[in-house]
Amino acid sequence: MGKLTIGCFASLVGSLNLDFAVKLSAAAIEKGHTVDLWVSGNGTMLSIKDQRPFKDYSHLEKPLKELMAKGLTVTACEACAEARGYNKDVTMEGFKRHSMDWYLASTFSADRVLHIGGE
Amino acid sequence: MKLAVFVSDYRMTVDTLDRLSPEKMGIILVQNGVYHATLKENGTPSALLNKSAEFYALKEDLETRGLDASNVDSKVKVITLGDVVDLIFNDYEKTAWI
Amino acid sequence: MATTKLGFIVQRPPYKSENPKLALTHAIATQSVEVYLNEGDTVTADIAFIGDGVLNCKKDQKAMDYYGLTSTEQHIKMALLVDINIWVCKEDVEKFGLSEDDLVLDAEEFGADMTVNVVPYSEISKKMEEMNHLLFF
Repeated sequence: MGKLTIGCFASLVGSLNLDFAVKLSAAAIEKGHTVDLWVSGNGTMLSIKDQRPFKDYSHLEKPLKELMAKGLTVTACEACAEARGYNKDVTMEGFKRHSMDWYLASTFSADRVLHIGGE
Repeated sequence: MKLAVFVSDYRMTVDTLDRLSPEKMGIILVQNGVYHATLKENGTPSALLNKSAEFYALKEDLETRGLDASNVDSKVKVITLGDVVDLIFNDYEKTAWI
Repeated sequence: MATTKLGFIVQRPPYKSENPKLALTHAIATQSVEVYLNEGDTVTADIAFIGDGVLNCKKDQKAMDYYGLTSTEQHIKMALLVDINIWVCKEDVEKFGLSEDDLVLDAEEFGADMTVNVVPYSEISKKMEEMNHLLFF
């Protein structure tokens, strides 16, 4: 089994890029792989807790928590989050926050890296 | 280099794909990229399908858009997310999301 | 002791998308990556500007004057200061009617030894082969 590091810079609502990243994470974990998910830029919107699951907007808090329980490590760029007012108080439990070097360090031990840029 | 390229748009704003020339290339059509697998503008299939590559289209993104696997170009294999994981780990060394 | 080589490929122009700036800031973050790794291990990030991405390298940007934002030009200089390899596609520079004189090529004012390399795409393509992972911005 291998390690997949996914980086995603797109926002929670709009492009479905974060939906794809979370679904791919689930599929990889299902197959026994380890997954690190890094969100930066507008992607840090994923880290906000209490997302209300309207049917018209992507809502990933529930699947994300289920994946974290199965071993997914998910980390937000702290500076990108703070710049958007997403401070620690509104961050989902279990969602890590680090500087950008965390993403780079994750790639060190990754067998594969999929970087999904922003909009 | 064995490169898996994710194409997520139908109208692309960058020409990077035209420049890539890895030893082996797989083009994985996801999101609006799946239109390349099904649309024939003025009767002509997408020029992307003329590239020297293996082609894949994500089943759930086809069906999300009302597209049926039976209408997919014969060059394209319809795959699941689990298949995407296997391609990434087993068939290609690097990935590109463009 | 091992090194993981990342290739950052910037293919979009500046300011309309956050991608180019994030490519540069993430690359600069290689400076502190070793705090997460075992002694002797490291990660490098080299940056290539291709296609419309070469427009990030135009000099005399005034984003700070008009938007209060660090310009892509300044980020390129910071990247040079921390010894990041930067390649710019020669064919694309010429396609836009630009020359090396129009580009940010060094950061001498900050004491950087590194300079920007304007090279044919074929060289960038070779570099991509050498990388462990590619990240397209």
